[in-house]
Amino acid sequence: MSASLAFPARRRTTGEALAGWMLTAPAALAYALMLLLPTLATIALAFTDYELGADGLAWIGLDNFAELLRDRGFAIALRNTILYVALVAPLSVLGGLALALLIETGTRGRAFFRAVFFLPVVSLPVAMAAAWQYLLHPTIGPLNAALRGIGIEGPAWLSSSDTVLLSLAAIGVWENIGFNLVLFLAGLTAIPRELYAAAEVDGATSGWERFRLVTWPLLGPTTLFVVTITMTRAVRVFDSVAVLTQGGPNKASEVLLYAMYEEGFTYFRLGYSAAITLVFLAIVLALVWLQTKVLEKRVHYA
Amino acid sequence: MFASPQLSRRVALSAPAAMLFAPRILRAQAPVEITVHYAQPFIYKEAYGALLAAFARREPNIKVNYVTTPNYEEGAQLILRQAATNQLPDLSYQGFNRLRVFAERGIAQDLLPLLKAEATDPATAGYTPNLLALAHFGGFQSGLAFAASNPVTYYNADLVRRAGGDPDNFPTNWNDVLQLAGRIDRLGDGNEGMWFTWNGDDWMFSALLFGHGGRMLTEDERDVGFAGPEGLGAIRLIDRMVKEGGMPNLSAAAARQAFTAGKLGIIFQTTALVRGMVAGAGNNFVLRTTGMPVIDPGKGRLPTGGAAGMLTAKDPAKRDAAWKFLRFSTGPEGQALMVRNTGYLPCNQIAIDDPQYLGEFYRANPLFMAAVRQIPISIPWYAFPGTNSVRVTQTMVDNLARIVEQRATPEEVQRDMAAEVRRLLPRRS
Repeated sequence: MSASLAFPARRRTTGEALAGWMLTAPAALAYALMLLLPTLATIALAFTDYELGADGLAWIGLDNFAELLRDRGFAIALRNTILYVALVAPLSVLGGLALALLIETGTRGRAFFRAVFFLPVVSLPVAMAAAWQYLLHPTIGPLNAALRGIGIEGPAWLSSSDTVLLSLAAIGVWENIGFNLVLFLAGLTAIPRELYAAAEVDGATSGWERFRLVTWPLLGPTTLFVVTITMTRAVRVFDSVAVLTQGGPNKASEVLLYAMYEEGFTYFRLGYSAAITLVFLAIVLALVWLQTKVLEKRVHYA
Repeated sequence: MFASPQLSRRVALSAPAAMLFAPRILRAQAPVEITVHYAQPFIYKEAYGALLAAFARREPNIKVNYVTTPNYEEGAQLILRQAATNQLPDLSYQGFNRLRVFAERGIAQDLLPLLKAEATDPATAGYTPNLLALAHFGGFQSGLAFAASNPVTYYNADLVRRAGGDPDNFPTNWNDVLQLAGRIDRLGDGNEGMWFTWNGDDWMFSALLFGHGGRMLTEDERDVGFAGPEGLGAIRLIDRMVKEGGMPNLSAAAARQAFTAGKLGIIFQTTALVRGMVAGAGNNFVLRTTGMPVIDPGKGRLPTGGAAGMLTAKDPAKRDAAWKFLRFSTGPEGQALMVRNTGYLPCNQIAIDDPQYLGEFYRANPLFMAAVRQIPISIPWYAFPGTNSVRVTQTMVDNLARIVEQRATPEEVQRDMAAEVRRLLPRRS
C-alpha cells in the first residue's frame, strides 16, 4: 500500500517545492541582486586598493584594515559613533516608553499626541536638518535668543566642538522618539487588562508596582525590538551630519558612515571606504546577534 | 540613427551596406548629438540655457543634451565613475581644483593643439596666457576656463556706519578692517563683527597665503610652501580675526544667514555669491562689496575659483562638435551670456576688454565690480598633486578649526598642518 501511494505523494512534494521556489523567486532574485551581490562586491572591494577613476586595482589583502587601525580620523569617527549611540539609544528608548505610558494613561487627545510625536519620523530628514540649522543658529536662532532673554549666552551649538555631538544627539533623539513611542503603544495595548486587576488583588496597589510587575515584563519583546532597531538606526546616523556639520569642526562630529562617504566619494578611495563599510556591517551584525542571543533569554514571551 | 519605426525590414537590412559605401557623406550630413555635463544648476541653469539657445542658432546640426549634478563634488564622482564604465559625456565643466585629478588620471585631453589649429596665438581669440593658466593642470592644457571668481569683501553699510566707519571709504588693510570689525562686534544686540570663509575648502586660506606672496607647495612640489613666514602670517591673521575682529564660530551657511539677516558686519567670500547675497539682503540693509584687504601690495595675489570645460569625447565627430560648443561657451559671446546670467567673472580677454559685451552690465551692477578690479592680481587656484589631493584640503581646514576655536596657537597649527600635509604628498624618490 505504502509503495503505491509514495510515488504520487513524492511528486506532489516536488511540485509543491517547485511552486514554492517559483513563488519566492521574485523576492529571492531581488534579495540577491539588491542586497547579496552588492554586499559580496563590497567585501571583495575592501581587500583592494581600488580608486574611483583609476585604471586598475590590486589585491592588497588586509592593508586597508591595517590602515584603519592607524587612521586617527577613523578612530575619532568610531568613538563619536559609539558616543552618539550611547546618548541617542537610551534617551529615545526611555523617552519613547515614558511618552507611551503618559499617552496610554491619559484620557484625552491620544490621537493628537501620537501624531505630534510621530511627525519627525515621517518628515524628510534633510529638510528637517535645515530647520534645525535655523533653530540652533548661534546668533539669529530662536533657542539662543530665548537663552539670551534669561541672561545666558548660548553656545554655537553646531559649530563648536564641545556641543556639536550633543546637538546632533538631541536631533537624533527627536527623530527616534516618535517611532519608539508608537511601537511601545502597540506593545501596551497587547497587555491583557485582567493582569492589572489580578496584580491589584495580589496587593500591587501603586502605579510603580504595577509597572514593575506587569507592564515591564510583558513589554519585554517590544523593548527588545525597540532597543535593537534604535541602536541600528543610531549607528546609521548620516543625514544630519552630512547636512549640518560635514563632520566638523576638526572631526568633532565625524561618524562612521560620514567617514565612509568621505573616503569613497570625496577622496575617491573606494577600497578603503569598503573596508569602513565592513566595520559598520560587523557592528550592526554584532548588535543584532547580541540582542537576539543574550537578551532574548531574559525576555518573557507571553 | 536608422532605427525609425517606419523602416521596412529590407531597408533596415540594407542600411549597414549603404553605410559601407558612403560613410563620409552620411557623417557630414547627419546631425551630431553630444552630451555636456555641468554642476550647480542652481547657479548656472539660466546661463547654460542661454548658451544652448545661442549655440543652436549657430550650429543647427549639433544637438546638445545636458547632464547636471547638484555640485562639483558629485560632478567629479560622475565623471570618474563613467570613465571606469566607458560612458563619459563628451564635454564636462568641472571646478578648477578638481581638474588636476582628471588630468593626472588621463581623462582630460590636451586642448592646446585644437586652439593652435584655429589661431597660432590663442591670445588673439581672447585666450591670454593668464586665462589659459587657470585650467592648465598635469602639465598640459587640460581645460578652458569658463567661469571665474575671486574672494571679495561684502559689508553691511548700515552696521559700518553705526560703528563709526565710512561705508564709502572702506578700509583697505587688515589692521583697519579688524579694528572696524571689532567696533561692529561691540555694538552688542547680537551683532557680530566679521566672518571669513575659512572652512569648506582651502580656497579662502590660500587668499591669505597668496596675499602674503606665499605658495601652497614649493616650486618643485616636493614640500609644503606654507611652513615659512607667509604661512604663519596667514594663520596669525585668522587668529587675529577671532581675537580682534570678533569672528564667531559659525558654519558657512550660518554665517551667510546671519549676514543677510543684518546681524553680521563684514563677510569675506567668493564673488560668485553676489546674486544670492543681494536676494538674501533684500531691503534689510544696504549691501556693498569691495576688494579684499591688501596684505602685500607688491607680491600679494588672490586665488581664482570657478569652472573650466574639459573635453572627454573620443569619437571624432562628437569630439569636433563638443569642441565647437566649448569654444563657443568660452568665446566672447558665450562669456557675455555666462556673466550676465551668473555674476561670475568672464574668462575671455575680448569679453573683458570690449565694452560691447559687458560694459552695460557692469554699469548696471556695480556690486560685481569688486571682483573685476582684482583680475590683475588673480592667479590659479592651487590643486595639490597626487591621489590625496582633496584630502589635503580637508586636513588644512581641520587644523584651521583649532585656531577658530582658540585651542592652539598659530605656531602649533602651522607645525601640525605642515607635518600632516607632508605625509599626504606623493612620495617620490
